[in-house]
Amino acid sequence: MFKTAITEMFGVKYPIICGAMMWLCKPKMCAAVSNAGGIGNLTAANYETADEFRAAIRETRKLTDKPFFIAITLLPSMRITPEHHKMYVRICAEEKVDGIEFSGTPLDKVAGMEAVELLKNAGVRMFHKVGAVRHALHAQKIGFDGVYAAGIEEGGHPLNDDVTTMVLTRKMVSSLKIPVVSVGGIADGSGLAAALALGADGVMMASRFIATKECEVHDNIKQELIRRQEFDTVIYGKSIGLQGRGLKSKVLEEVLAIEARHGGFEELIPLLSGQKVKEAWETGDVDYAPLMVGQSIGLINDIPTCAELMERMAAEAKEHSARAAKLCGN
Amino acid sequence: MKTRITEMVGIKYPIVLSGMSWISTPKMVAAVSNAGGLGILATGPLNAEQTRESIREIRKLTDKPFGANASLMFPGAAENAKVLLQEKVPVINFALGKGDWIVKEAHKYGGKVFATVVNVKHAKRAQDFGTDAVIATGQEAAAHGEDVTSLVLIPHLAENLDIPVIAAGGFADGRGIAAALALGAEGVAMGTRLMTTKESPLHENFKKLTLEKDVYDTLFSKRFDGILCRVMKTDAAKHAIKNGLSWPAAFFNSQDIAKQMGVPYFKLFLGVLLSGYKNARQLAFMANAFKAIRVATENGDSKTGVLPVGQVQGLIHDQPTVAELFERIMKEAKSAQSKVNAALD
Repeated sequence: MFKTAITEMFGVKYPIICGAMMWLCKPKMCAAVSNAGGIGNLTAANYETADEFRAAIRETRKLTDKPFFIAITLLPSMRITPEHHKMYVRICAEEKVDGIEFSGTPLDKVAGMEAVELLKNAGVRMFHKVGAVRHALHAQKIGFDGVYAAGIEEGGHPLNDDVTTMVLTRKMVSSLKIPVVSVGGIADGSGLAAALALGADGVMMASRFIATKECEVHDNIKQELIRRQEFDTVIYGKSIGLQGRGLKSKVLEEVLAIEARHGGFEELIPLLSGQKVKEAWETGDVDYAPLMVGQSIGLINDIPTCAELMERMAAEAKEHSARAAKLCGN
Repeated sequence: MKTRITEMVGIKYPIVLSGMSWISTPKMVAAVSNAGGLGILATGPLNAEQTRESIREIRKLTDKPFGANASLMFPGAAENAKVLLQEKVPVINFALGKGDWIVKEAHKYGGKVFATVVNVKHAKRAQDFGTDAVIATGQEAAAHGEDVTSLVLIPHLAENLDIPVIAAGGFADGRGIAAALALGAEGVAMGTRLMTTKESPLHENFKKLTLEKDVYDTLFSKRFDGILCRVMKTDAAKHAIKNGLSWPAAFFNSQDIAKQMGVPYFKLFLGVLLSGYKNARQLAFMANAFKAIRVATENGDSKTGVLPVGQVQGLIHDQPTVAELFERIMKEAKSAQSKVNAALD
């Protein structure tokens, strides 16, 4: 059985957390991960009204009695405003959710220390996804319970410090008192064992969870993740100050071409719209919108259920650390 | 510690010194081998005669196994590799080219050959022509690499190869070694960590800078020497990357190289010209990089010098001897690994 700061904090079987995924981390998927012994994710930005958001939390609770995380990205978008952010925080406190994965701007800068206090008093565990020690130290200072150390290999928006998970995890662990969870580049049990060896208390994965039976995404996408390799992702968006890593595709080629000729924000926006991503997940057209997956897709070879995946990862982690133990003479 | 690498080569610790130009010199190679690791001589800046002298010097300084590298993209590398074979160097590490002929010849005298690779395809090809092990370079490594990071590359290689994998890029301490082993590697190669030891010939100015710089203080660009290369973020590096290739500078710097390597300039010049525009451009790029790296490592000139370093520079806080470092690392690895066991129990 696993015993880390994360399994202890949440009373879960595996220190494996599902990361935020817009349009995919909905109640069924979230509950599937939690029921399988990990920690599922319900991504707040899927919901625009307080009622919808609260209903989604309650629906998840009907599907599982295990802990799960809410993901709140504290970056304004066309659709999600700072008012939404405050609403999400308020409802999380009212519903006393188990934990929140924050990303983007620090919570106190967006909603003040009162938001931190509100969540703390409601018993909500707070984690921030960060790519640098300076950001992690801020989270620790304002009372967060842990951080996700997200390396450059992750899908989504890795910080432009460009530090890899391997190096970042080490740096975080030696600089912080609160638990560190590794994010980026992990899709199997050897990655989990490696993260623990680096001093992390768990791992967060997103891309790996897309290729599971329970993920509500078009089958083409799952098959594509099996087909594609670790070198099939690309960094884009450097020119607009928000870099992202996504699956190499026609649309990202177009984005990079616009960036190369110093095209403007206005030209890029239609290609990067979140609504198009939703359609791409549904229709299975990988060239229609940027699909934000990480280098770990090179390690994805099948479509298991969440339970099969996590049991296998646990067995692999044990196997790999037994092998490492033998080599170390432990 | 016993792994397929320690057993294959006959070393105490599965730690390899990366072949770094002007740093992995005979003395440094011997220091690493004497401390129980595997020193690898950098032959990039050497001509055939200098290579032979260096090998003989190493043999005077240590009776332990050692290796030497051959970056097959550079002019003169094939000649150097032939010297390594004549001298029966125990381990030859080739990179940036096809080393099948090296494998064939080295195996005749019982030598071992390591291929430096950045992807599964090249690694499998190397395995197919008989290479004994691969050194897998993750994105975080110093100098040349590709986008894929160690955390993803190592398990993918370990799963797809029969020969052992040595992980390079991101390793500076025992936790890193424990992680590499968990990912399926059987050894690690260290450059940045070893260049900041007492025995390292790296100029004090840059040792000091390595201790000051953080994990994010590197630049990874094609505009330094023509292929993706990670260097320390300094004003000189920013300047070099902003300006890209300078042909006039390449003209002068290549004369320097010819002089240093004892090759008549017209011969080098003709050879480069005949190799086609793409290759000539690449070599011109490298001639300038060569100069910038040399003034950094040898002269410690941080105004014009550029030093290849890995992201792990941000994890380095002291300057131990190689022996002290290895002992500490192995102790840390054992303890990090036992913590994983405890978490899984």
